[in-house]
Amino acid sequence: MKNIAITINGLQLTGREDMTIFEVAQANGINIPTLCYKSELPPIGACRICVVEVEGSRTLVGSCHTPIAEGMVVHTHSPKVLATRKVIIELLLASHCGTCFMCSKANMCELRSIAADLDMGLPQVPTRRLYYPVEDVSPYVIRDLSKCILCRRCVRACREIAKQNVFAVAYRGFESKIVVDFDQPIDTDVCRDCDVCISFCPTGALSRPSKVTDEKKGRPLIICD
Amino acid sequence: MSRISGRISTQSKDQNNLLVLLEEAQSKFGCLSQEIMSELAKSVGVSISEVYGAATFYAFLSTKPQGRNVIRICKSLPCFLKNSELIIESVGREIGIQPGETTPDGKFTFQLTNCIGACDKAPAMMINNEVYGDLTSKKIMAILKACK
Ligand code: SF4
Ligand code: SF4
Ligand code: FES
Ligand code: FES
Repeated sequence: MKNIAITINGLQLTGREDMTIFEVAQANGINIPTLCYKSELPPIGACRICVVEVEGSRTLVGSCHTPIAEGMVVHTHSPKVLATRKVIIELLLASHCGTCFMCSKANMCELRSIAADLDMGLPQVPTRRLYYPVEDVSPYVIRDLSKCILCRRCVRACREIAKQNVFAVAYRGFESKIVVDFDQPIDTDVCRDCDVCISFCPTGALSRPSKVTDEKKGRPLIICD
Repeated sequence: MSRISGRISTQSKDQNNLLVLLEEAQSKFGCLSQEIMSELAKSVGVSISEVYGAATFYAFLSTKPQGRNVIRICKSLPCFLKNSELIIESVGREIGIQPGETTPDGKFTFQLTNCIGACDKAPAMMINNEVYGDLTSKKIMAILKACK
């Protein structure tokens, strides 16, 4: 396959012609944030957090799904790019529950981590929020869809990697939601414990059930004083 | 590049097929019941979630039983600027239900929809497959009266 020369942030780089801007950047240690993209899945360009500036292009482009082209000049962290990413995070957080302080996945949450990198705190835009009941019927996965950002990673991971088709996006606009069957809580009939979706979820929307007492199942300990 | 487009196209082919079948079922049975959706899922070879996802995404498909006359009033911007709010109100008053509801006698279902491509005749609405434009409260009364 042909090699192509491109410039990213002033660095002269080369990549194979089937690579995306994101892949070339990543291979060269340039960090572009992503949310809907995962290297194991085909890109869908849904979240736009990976946008970069390409000289000569009227709009910012999504780096996770844009193939490189000869002579491309890319800026991954220009003021325009950073400002846009901030708006995207602000909008994602705007309809999010925003309870990061109490979220058991806060230290692993990719949304929170990108927000922190961009120096952003809790949601600032007052808007309607959708709170869903937490689904904890299944012994394998808990779904707290108030924390879902509709990145569709679980949908695609379940389809492409687990080779099941448990999830789909239903409804429209503000009501959009990742559903199971006829919008029923996920249970053992549709899903066994492969864990794939949980490991792909960038937020606290999917997690493994654990009892508070799980950590206290060890041997008895004697403390002498 | 082919790596990306190749994978996208196979997926949308199934979904196009599904959409055609959903439309057929909708016009044949009036609404998409869980039995119908389960059957379609099996015959197309997709999951129930996917069928339900498509059925709830498209405004012209319905998972709940519909009235004999489905009124869809456009809520998009051009119609809004031509006072669609007033039209929505008049229809609501005339048939006594809110958007999203069906009259108890099963005569009307009332819905709001996005642009139906009749912006040149804004404010516009559809009743079943018929488009009505340049609506006024007066016109609406006449149109609704003519519905069986
Ligand atoms: S999922 Fe992430 S952003 Fe949402 S509450 Fe938890 S830590 Fe915060
Ligand atoms: S549940 Fe998680 S992985 Fe699935 S769409 Fe929501 S945020 Fe993405
Ligand atoms: S990561 Fe590129 S669009 Fe979501
Ligand atoms: S905006 Fe109402 S028909 Fe187009």
